[in-house]
Amino acid sequence: MSEFKPSAGTAQMTDDTFRLLRDFIYEHSGIYFSDTKKSQLENRLILRLRANNLSDYDKYYYMLKYDPQAAKELRSLFDSVTTNETSFFRSPPQIQAFQEKALPELMLNRENMGEKTLRLWSAGCSTGDEPYTMAIIVKELLQENLCDWDVKIFASDISEKALRSARAATYNEYTLRSVPPEIKKKYFISNGTQYKITDEIRMLVELQYLNFNDDKRVRLMRGFDAIFCRNVLIYFDDTAKKRFVSQLYDNLNPGGYLFIGHSESLHNISRAFKLVHFPGALGYKKE
Amino acid sequence: MDNPVFDTIKNIDDLPTLPSIAMEVIALSRSPEVSINKVSECIYKDPPLATKVLRMANSSFYRRGSNEVDTLHRAILMMGLNEIINITTSVSVLSILPPKGSEGETLRKAFWNHCIATGLIARHIDNKLGMRSMGREFVAGLLHDIGKIILDEYFHKEYMEAHAFSIDVDCPMYDAELEVLGTTHMEIGHFLAQKWDLPGYIADVNLYHHQPIDAKFKDITALISISDLLAKAKEFSFGGDRLSFVLSDQQAWHILKQMGYPVHILDLERFTFEIEDIGEEVNRYISTVSEPGTEENVHERI
Ligand SMILES: [Fe+2]
Ligand SMILES: [Fe+2]
Repeated sequence: MSEFKPSAGTAQMTDDTFRLLRDFIYEHSGIYFSDTKKSQLENRLILRLRANNLSDYDKYYYMLKYDPQAAKELRSLFDSVTTNETSFFRSPPQIQAFQEKALPELMLNRENMGEKTLRLWSAGCSTGDEPYTMAIIVKELLQENLCDWDVKIFASDISEKALRSARAATYNEYTLRSVPPEIKKKYFISNGTQYKITDEIRMLVELQYLNFNDDKRVRLMRGFDAIFCRNVLIYFDDTAKKRFVSQLYDNLNPGGYLFIGHSESLHNISRAFKLVHFPGALGYKKE
Repeated sequence: MDNPVFDTIKNIDDLPTLPSIAMEVIALSRSPEVSINKVSECIYKDPPLATKVLRMANSSFYRRGSNEVDTLHRAILMMGLNEIINITTSVSVLSILPPKGSEGETLRKAFWNHCIATGLIARHIDNKLGMRSMGREFVAGLLHDIGKIILDEYFHKEYMEAHAFSIDVDCPMYDAELEVLGTTHMEIGHFLAQKWDLPGYIADVNLYHHQPIDAKFKDITALISISDLLAKAKEFSFGGDRLSFVLSDQQAWHILKQMGYPVHILDLERFTFEIEDIGEEVNRYISTVSEPGTEENVHERI
């Protein structure tokens, strides 16, 4: 009655296959799965197994590695290894590194230079969670001194749909799950189920459409103190990645920071930056 | 350059002492008449210690083959005398200053977590760079901050003050210690390592892990210096040590580079991600040393 269908539901990833897949993914995307994340990787890839009608992870690995058609699969693979969901105060150690270490340092440098300007860029801002988080952090740090400063947070994305929701700046409870309660109270207006960002925060953020392949426009994004470009680079091939990252380097002011995804690496992409270890997070500094 | 705190500690009669067997084993290791039989006989004189050493030798941290090592004699044959001496030293120190102190328990725990993390990270780096420290890197990491525990034990109130100070002012613990106590954990640790007659590299690492350029045992001190920073980056930190740093700008990094270790080809990002799980390793190590020595545990397969 039914033809034999390989069942991926029971597939198990052996430790050896885990290491092979982990190294393959790191080599091609710069994203690393540490030993304890084996089951996470397993869960994410099970759908790729099913989509390719494969019975086990070994076969999937060999397909990626040796099948000439595999290039097409890569994009779906990267989609499934990065969590596409966004949320406020996402990846707390990175946010904390920015808040506790990078931002105060950047502001001190600016003040010493006698110019109270701050330019941040959320490159690939999606629905706005990241730039608004940055804005809240800046406001929290400067408090009433904010009016002495010229702060602008550029937020760009290639999806008009995402930009529309970023403009609406209205979020549900789930998106705000990592937000400390006092922050929620201060910077969001709630109607019971939805939370809207206050105007004070919204005014700091400038949303715009930007395609990273548009070299001319990317080059115009100059003079940034910090750039967040998290989980964006994986969709570029090596050459494009190198070109884009060196462009980001040029977009930064000396002393500025680039933050990429929490377990993303620029090791094989750029040597221009200094790798900075923050408590629980990495950052890249232009000297 | 002595100061009242240092003087007091020097003159405390009941400073913790290393179990006599551990002292004997370390002394034996320096003697020309050292032999496998002598060392194993010596450790067997202290049965709980022997059980712990065997359990450690059989744990995932040390065990190589699939066969269980059931006698110290065999353990020494398989792992070498030095590794058994390393294990004896680690286990002995942890038994006299256990992670669960009566007062300031959470701090004491955080302290040991930092030290064990440092030792384990040192071991990973040693491996990556092919430094062949032969297990000394773990002991050195484990004991590099031993001065902190002594300061906490005998000057608890002041040490808590230093701890709070380092958080308030956002400075390293050693600056806070100087400010509040007039001495540092490096000085105290160095003193204790000498008093306990621990191997010279351990005393050296204690004194110089925050300025490895002055160390006599430069490579292992530099290694511990870097591992200490990375342990802090993995948030195994203590007080205001929530630092940010550029590894390749560190004195220790330059020392290793100059000594010819291939630091420049290390994929530091990947290494940092690899040690993401260090917390689990730390917990496993602690439970291996602290469980009572029952038969089941010795036979446990890991
Ligand atoms: Fe220290
Ligand atoms: Fe330390």
